[in-house]
Formats: sequence, structure tokens, C-alpha cells
Amino acid sequence: MTKSSRRLLGLLIFGALAVAWVYAASRLWQTSVPSNLKLPKVDMRALVGSGELHRAEHFSLVLDLFGLAGLFLPLVVLALYATWGHRFMRESAAGPIGTGMLLAMLGIAILWMAMLPSSIGELWWLRRYGVVKYGYAEMVIGTWAALGAEFLGICLIILIVMGFARLLGKHWWLAGAPVFVGIALLVTFVQPYMAGLQPVEGHATLVQAEKRLAKKEGVGNIPLKEENVSSLTTAPNAEAMGLGPSRRIGLWSTILDGRFSEPQLEVVVAHELAHHKHNDLWKGIGWYALFVFPIAYLIARVTRRRGGMAVPLAVPLFLFAWVGLATITLPIDNAFSRRLEAEADWTALQTTRDPQAAKALFVNFVQTTNEDPNPPFWDPLLFGSHPTEEQRIGMVEAWQARSGG
Amino acid sequence: MNEHPVTLHVMDDLRRSRLTVFFRYLLYIPHGIWLELWGIVVLVVAVLNWLVALVIGRPAAPFQRFIAAYLRYWTTVYAFLMLVANPFPGFTGEPGSYPVELVVPTTPEKQNRLKTFFRMFLLLPTVVVLYVVLIPAMLICYPLLSFAWWAAMITGRMPRGFRDLGANAIRYTAQVGAYALLVTGTYPCSSPYVGMVLGTPVVAETKTAVEAPAAAAEVPAAAEEPAAPEAPEAPSET
Repeated sequence: MTKSSRRLLGLLIFGALAVAWVYAASRLWQTSVPSNLKLPKVDMRALVGSGELHRAEHFSLVLDLFGLAGLFLPLVVLALYATWGHRFMRESAAGPIGTGMLLAMLGIAILWMAMLPSSIGELWWLRRYGVVKYGYAEMVIGTWAALGAEFLGICLIILIVMGFARLLGKHWWLAGAPVFVGIALLVTFVQPYMAGLQPVEGHATLVQAEKRLAKKEGVGNIPLKEENVSSLTTAPNAEAMGLGPSRRIGLWSTILDGRFSEPQLEVVVAHELAHHKHNDLWKGIGWYALFVFPIAYLIARVTRRRGGMAVPLAVPLFLFAWVGLATITLPIDNAFSRRLEAEADWTALQTTRDPQAAKALFVNFVQTTNEDPNPPFWDPLLFGSHPTEEQRIGMVEAWQARSGG
Repeated sequence: MNEHPVTLHVMDDLRRSRLTVFFRYLLYIPHGIWLELWGIVVLVVAVLNWLVALVIGRPAAPFQRFIAAYLRYWTTVYAFLMLVANPFPGFTGEPGSYPVELVVPTTPEKQNRLKTFFRMFLLLPTVVVLYVVLIPAMLICYPLLSFAWWAAMITGRMPRGFRDLGANAIRYTAQVGAYALLVTGTYPCSSPYVGMVLGTPVVAETKTAVEAPAAAAEVPAAAEEPAAPEAPEAPSET
């Protein structure tokens, strides 16, 4: 085969893969929310009150600044580490993979230290607004201890990447990416068993309602559980978790503490059931799989200048490339997440047919989380995994208009 | 007198990286998990090895090598955790790879069947000594709140006395482990003068030392007395 025909074949394969990628992405992107749905302008001031709205705007603005620090400071730190990190190789007596693990762990450790002032500042702000309940020492010790789990995770990643790189050379990403997808599947599956879920107590009506709503959404029997977070935060939340037999709905204890009415809680439950109905956790893994291949390929390309992932010298650059690419893809990941959340909201409205409860719920979210219902455009881009509360209320009103309510 | 088939060679230069000292507990975690997993297999192998030793009068050679590698690895991991050495250890227990290294016989020796049969009971007195040796070493050398941790964090060096105390605890524990796992028939020695060689590079003599344990006793004369005020250490200490 000549050089030009090899090149042509390569281009054809790349083109076919690109088409398949775009097709898969467009399939995952589709939702059941009507494409011609126009969200009306919502007067949040009338719904929440100008005092509360101002408080939420102020709270969110400062929180966003800490968020920006949390997003871009790691890039700066890891860029420096990519340049100087190889010096820590002298602290290792291990082989290439062990040394790679050490460099990766030290990179994360340095990042933790660099982020500590920003994390403390963010905690001060959250405490000021009564969103979290733990203190500074607990945070520092807790995050230090949590580094242990991060160290284990990064060691596993380095073992996979460097192990395959030593076996397959520059093509390690072809074997590594499917393993990462497998790990994502496993983590999603076992998450409900690790989350310390407990039976929901004192909400018998809600438990009955969940059964009714699950039947209505056609998702079968999905246990409703409670996650006790009351010692940590006051923020309300709920989540759909698990795959197949491990599917659960976890309600944070903070959402069951009396601040939300039963009809509002039913909307929450219907929303989480909708995630299971639309297989959103599977979609999330599919979306991750779509990105992990090109990201792993790009990392393999970038780290070649340091000798490739078979040598520990490339590990600091690997960390930087990995976090950098994850940051670049963050807006599209958030956009995907917002679409799934919007679809779950829509399905919840279709199931409960209770727009008043839905609207009250979203207003209540603003009041209990202090989050700006209509933040500046870059906020959802960088941090918004859910539609803004204004958009969610707008969807309720659009649904009402369509349903003749 | 320095003869014990299980000998700890300490070639550490007392320099410590503050960053790895600060995060030492966390850096130990992957090794801790690997040590546990390896230890489970060693436990099974040890039982089989015990049966083999009862039947043929000496341990099986493959089992001996496997357990010896585990003991070497265990030594490097605890030397790292207890700040007895600075570098991050490897995961294989490969000889000649770490500044604190256990030289263990890899060729099985003939062992008395009666002593083999009652090995667990014979180990009982060592448990008392283990407590005496280990507790002060743990209080002084374990990361975070110990004297040694603070000293290493502040000065970037490990005080020699603390280092030697930790090394002695590791040496004795390794000798107990080697005796329990039938790697040697020689009883652990509580004296810090037996089975510990300070300032002697094991790397250069690795092959011969490991293949022929008797050679481990042939250490340079200058290093034969670890208690000597200034046994030759690494250049940076002078």
C-alpha cells in the first residue's frame, strides 16, 4: 500500500468515525421536550420578592467568583506542574508505573494545597448564608482525608494508562478509553449501594405517591430512599441513581425537613423518576464514552513530546492535558445535562399535571438555596447542570399554556 | 556480632522531602491496599508452605521466593510510612531497589519438623518484644503527629536516632515475619546489633546476597557496629 493510499484510507476511517460520532451525539441530544417550545419571560421579582432576589444575586455572584477560581486555578497550577513536576521523580524508588503514580498523586496534592485558600473562602461564603453547617477545620481535615480516595482513583487511572501504554505504545488510548467507560458503568451501578441510603420515614403519603407516579411513568418498581445530609448542609436536593436492579431515587434529608409541601415533593419524585424513564444515566455514560475516546487520543498525542504515557516523565503533562480538556468540554457537558434536566421537568409536569406545585417548588428552590434564578449568561455555561429557576418556571408556564391550564 | 539470615540494610541519607512527608499517610494508601491483597495470598501460601515443610523438612523454593519478595516489599513500605526512608517504594519487592532493604534467604534451608509444627507457639514470646519495639517506634515515627514527622517537616531531615529506632522496629518485625512464614529457622533477635547494617549499600551486593544469604553477613567492617557513633552514612550526612 502506497503512502497516499494509506493516507486516504486513514482519512476515510476518520471520516466514518466522525460521522458515527456526530450521529450518536445527535441521538443523545434529542429529548421529548417539544422543539418549538417558547419559554415566556417570567417576572421573578413578583414571584420571589425583590429582597430575596437581590440576596440570591449577591450570593451567586460571589459564589461564581469562587467557582471561576476553582475552574481556572487548577489549570494554572497544573500547567506549572507540567513544567516542573518531573523533578519529583527523584523522590521515587519505584519502577516507571509506581513513579508515575507518585507524580500523579503529588500533582493532586499540590493542587489541593493551591486550592485551599479558595476553598476556605468559598466555605466562609456558604457559611455566611447558612448553606453549609460544617466548620473550617472539618473542611480542611475532611478534604485532606478525601485526598486518599482521589489518590487511589488517580493511581488506578495511571495504572491503566501507563500499563496499556507500555503494552500498546502510542495506541494505549484505544484500550484505555473502553476501560474508563467500563469503570464509569461500574461506578454508576454501585453508587446507590455506597451512598448510605435509608428508608424514607414519616412520609408515607409520598412513598405511596412515588409508587403511583412510577406506574404512571412506566418505570417499574424503583425504591425511594433518603440520604441523611442534615449535618452538612441545608441545601435541598434529590437524585436518580443506579442502573437496572440498582436503580434508586435518593431524597436528601434537607428536602424532607418540612420546607417543601407534599405536592412539591411529588414533583421532585416525578422528575427523578423521569430520569430513569428516559434512561438518563445510560445516556450520561454514552455521552462520556463519546468524549473519552477523543480526549484519550488527544492526551496520547500531547504526551508524546514527553516520551508518551509509558514513561513517568509524561505524567505531569497528562494531568494538565486531562484537566484542560475536561474544562474545554465543560460547557457542552453542561448543555447536555441541562437538556436532560429540562426533559425530566417536562415529564414531571406531564405526570403530575400540577403546575402550581411545580412553580412553587422552583420558587422554593431559590429561597432555600439562594441561587440566582437568572444568572449572567456565562454562569450556566460553566456551572449550570440544570436550567435556571427562571427557565424552569418558564417551562411550567409554557406547559400550562399548551395544556390549556 | 551481626549474623542473622534476615538482615536490614539501611542506606538512607536522612534527607526528607517535606511534600512527601506531609502527605505520607495518603501516599501510603495504594501500597497499603496492595500489601493487604498480597498478604492474603501470602497467608494461603504460608499454610501450604508449612505443610510442605512438615513433609519434606524444608520449605518449598517457589513459596520461599514468593514470601521473601513479600517481606522485602513490606519492609520498603513500612520504611516509607515510618519515615525511615525517603523515596516512594516500588510495588514488587524487587531486591536492590530501595535504600532500606531486607536481605532474606531465598533458598530454603532445612528446618526442624518439630519446631515447624509448633512455630506459632514458639512465636508467642516475640509478641511481647514486638510491643516493646513497635509502640515507641510508632509513637515517634508515624506520620502526622509524631516527633519525627514534625522534625522532618521543619528541618527537611530525619533525626538519626528516630530513624534508627524505626529501622530497628522494622528489622525485628521482619525477622518475626520471616520466622513465622518459615523463610528462616533462626529465631528473631531482639538486639538492635543483630541483623541490621547501617550505611551499607545493598544494591551492589544484591545478587549474591539474595542468592546466597550467608553472604549478607559479609558486610564491610566499618558498618558492622550500627551503634558506633558515626557509622558511615550517605555523603550528605557528613
